[in-house]
Amino acid sequence: MKRVGTGATLTIALATVGLALAACGGGVNEASSSSAAPSPAESTAAPAETSAAPAESSAAPAPADCGDWGIAMHAWVGYTASAQVLTNVAEDKLGCKITQTQLDEAATTYDAMEAGSVDVIIEDWGGGRWQEWVDRGAIEEVGYNGNIGLIGMFVPQFVCDENPGITDGTKLNDYVDLFKTPESGDKGAWLEGPPGYTTIGEKIIKAYDLNYKVINTGSEPALIEAFTKGSEDKVPVLGYFYEPQNFLAKVPLCRINFPANDWTDAAKASGLTDYPETPLVKLATVKLMDSGSPFATLLTNFEWTNEDQNQVALDIENGMDPREAAQKWIDEHPDVVAAWLEGTGAS
Amino acid sequence: MDVRAALRLRWVQALIVLVVWFVLATLLKGVQTQELSTATDSPFTAMMRDFAAAIRGNRTESFLFVYVFNPIRTFIAGFIELIMSVISVPAEGNIIPLLGWFGTWVLIGFIVYATSNLRTAIFSMFMLLLCGMLGMWIITMDTLAMTVGAVVLSLAVALPLGVWAGLNDRVMKVLRPWLDLAQVLPTLVYLAPLALVFLIGIASATIATMIYAIPICIRITAHAIKSLKHGPVEAAVSAGSTRWQVLTKVQLPMAKRTIILAVNQTTLAALSFVVIAALIGAPGLGKPVVEALTIRNVGDGVVAGLAVVFLAIMLDRATTAAVMREEQGYAASDAQKVRRRIGLAVGAVVTLVAIYLSRYVLVFAVFPERLDFGDQVGAIADAIEEWITSNLDFLTTGFSQWFTVWGLNPLEGVLANSPWWLTLAAITLLAFILAGRTVGILVFVLLALVMATGLWYDTMVTLAMTLIATAFVVLLGIVLGVWAGRSERVERFFKPFLDAGQTMPAFVYLVPVLALFGPTRFAAIVLGVVYAAPVVIRIVADGIRGVPKDSVEAAISTGSTTMQVITKVQLPASRRSILLGANQGLIFVLAVVVIGGFVGAGGLGYLVIVGQSKPELAGKGLAAGIAIVLLGVILDRIAQGRPSERAPAPR
Repeated sequence: MKRVGTGATLTIALATVGLALAACGGGVNEASSSSAAPSPAESTAAPAETSAAPAESSAAPAPADCGDWGIAMHAWVGYTASAQVLTNVAEDKLGCKITQTQLDEAATTYDAMEAGSVDVIIEDWGGGRWQEWVDRGAIEEVGYNGNIGLIGMFVPQFVCDENPGITDGTKLNDYVDLFKTPESGDKGAWLEGPPGYTTIGEKIIKAYDLNYKVINTGSEPALIEAFTKGSEDKVPVLGYFYEPQNFLAKVPLCRINFPANDWTDAAKASGLTDYPETPLVKLATVKLMDSGSPFATLLTNFEWTNEDQNQVALDIENGMDPREAAQKWIDEHPDVVAAWLEGTGAS
Repeated sequence: MDVRAALRLRWVQALIVLVVWFVLATLLKGVQTQELSTATDSPFTAMMRDFAAAIRGNRTESFLFVYVFNPIRTFIAGFIELIMSVISVPAEGNIIPLLGWFGTWVLIGFIVYATSNLRTAIFSMFMLLLCGMLGMWIITMDTLAMTVGAVVLSLAVALPLGVWAGLNDRVMKVLRPWLDLAQVLPTLVYLAPLALVFLIGIASATIATMIYAIPICIRITAHAIKSLKHGPVEAAVSAGSTRWQVLTKVQLPMAKRTIILAVNQTTLAALSFVVIAALIGAPGLGKPVVEALTIRNVGDGVVAGLAVVFLAIMLDRATTAAVMREEQGYAASDAQKVRRRIGLAVGAVVTLVAIYLSRYVLVFAVFPERLDFGDQVGAIADAIEEWITSNLDFLTTGFSQWFTVWGLNPLEGVLANSPWWLTLAAITLLAFILAGRTVGILVFVLLALVMATGLWYDTMVTLAMTLIATAFVVLLGIVLGVWAGRSERVERFFKPFLDAGQTMPAFVYLVPVLALFGPTRFAAIVLGVVYAAPVVIRIVADGIRGVPKDSVEAAISTGSTTMQVITKVQLPASRRSILLGANQGLIFVLAVVVIGGFVGAGGLGYLVIVGQSKPELAGKGLAAGIAIVLLGVILDRIAQGRPSERAPAPR
């Protein structure tokens, strides 16, 4: 009997919903057309969600039919800055409908692009990892986004002040004692970069016979916390870092230099030379680039500097909504935006 | 003669092996450790890499996609989108989903009331209100929809299988390797292939969740059915009941208490996937968590994490109360029944009105911004984090360094920095001694397979961390589990913390843990303990509570002290639960080995992550996933001991 009882109560519950729904028509939803009601996005406190909100992007007159496109969102703030600026311009100036999708970098995103779920990566660091997907006709390179990635090994500034000779990387063996930790035993700790980034620490250590042990930090926060703590407590830390990254404006780091050359493929690096400067790449699906959409033109034209990206990234890190931070930069740089819009028919 | 007798004792033999192992490992430190640099492939990982590339390249419109994968994807995504269209996602051009927030809120309260009682209903609504007040209403509803969907689908698969496996040892034997595989194989290993087959988004996220949640549910259900006393079953059989009658009239009702645990754990496991879901483009609370980690904003992460915890607590209490009511349903008097029927009628009317209001009145449709205290909560969390990391780090750094030097490094020295054949021989011998010949041979084969992957060194580094984390977890689990099992008040006090530990996504507290411990193996151990201890505490407490009251009372009446009652009666009587707890603790620790890779712990966890990020190292990632599974099976088998001790004869 008790089973019947529960079943009955559930039936009542469901019937209730059914009745209630039958009883009313459009309700609040009908009011939406009069634009008196606030958008739900305002109440959700999800910054990146805004672009996906319905019926929002019809503000600007669309010069050509732009269409619906997806941008992959990767988990570093510089990326968020670039992607959000691109989104704002595409939506407001071209009337595109842009969906931002949080995605793990590299293979997951390339696969999603191949399957047609997203269309754009605005900043990819990995020299040519996407080649396999290009060969299959899924992805194409859309040139550089203007940001220059500079990777290297760094120490907190005070370490350089106290040991002026340390910036010569080939002499690092003289400073092993500074960097010993329980993790590295009687060697120095060499904090290696996050997994998705180009890293050749093992090769450098081998090439110069350095008495250091590679500690794979595994994430950007791990590196940043290590440098922050090292700088505050005056504990020497040797770790991988990179520009553009607005963290460098907060905690000054000092670069350890190795002899330079111009390799671009990490697989071909000998370890005897330093990381090169890496122009960061824009990737898009072949579908988007062949579509004739003005968004493809905008993406091709999109280009800005490390300084630009850092400005937007810093605003976001300081708590500004990414959309507002992007808009602030756009309003301050009408010329740059106008140049991006060339050939799209919009202005 | 005495010496020979002593040599026959197992623990003496084990001790001898350990001593010899330690001495040899010290002498041969750094010899033939099989250490392999991250960028180098072993023959096996190279093979895996080519294999991964081949699968990817051959993805076409083959019939598998047309007739198998695509229908599955459509069904799962459709099922969950249906739930979402009611509570979280507005239809094209609409502002609110089918129900406004108030309607959803009252309706959920009513459903909880209808399936359990008024108190739980009010509590559930309070928890949901808190989620809304964190500014997370819509996103919480996204997660709720995905969780409910994943749990329903998981239970549909797991409950029948669990009951079958509980009734039939042979079924369990066949299932067990797959359960190990599914539960221990790190999600990140199969996330990319899954997204490849089922595309990014809801379907892939749900399937990933199910792969993880189903084994937990099967295991606990089977355990519940199996550990029933044989008396009532035999009585029923001798009274002429059919097998089906025995199952439905005796075994299932008797196992109910533990099956609740299975439903709970399935729900909590499903909730632990919010972050994974966010990595493949599915909606929900994982998204703000990942975004907060991106800018290292602890406050924002905590706000989203708290919403996960509140939702978890709500679902936990609601499911528990629902089944409790089922259990107590018989006892209700006529007066109570009438009162309840009136209550239901009133509730139905109130719900109707609430739904109507939520579709017509703006404050009831969209969660009012005035009630959004997310920013304030975030600021408080930031302040607390700031205080902890700037005031406690001398303490934590000191302890973690001391422990690393005196505990972790020596253990890793023996396991990883000694010749591989020495470690292999020693572990195999220990398995022989502790778990018998069958297990010994199995362990030898599995270790040989680990060797064949070429990731021996990384596996041993991970093993050292896992052993230490599990030791911490079991210790905590027994101490706190006994305490909670003996006192309901203590248990009630623990409950929110256990829920939080198990459901707060690790990405939320990654930054504070890193600030306290730096990128170290110890940070990874801390993450493992936080995640795995709750489940052990729960299972141990459940076991202690299950000890018959009369035997405890008998011990007390004969003048036993509390300590004696615990050590002589309660602990021995709940031995099965403690073993299950240790086993689950181990598996839970292994489940977060990959998270350890994010905080500088290296080992297999890091290889999984790097394999996910760098296509050229995909083979190492896959191989590392396989090595984690092998490690899990090895530890599981040794921990279960000799077969004769595994299933004590029925009394």
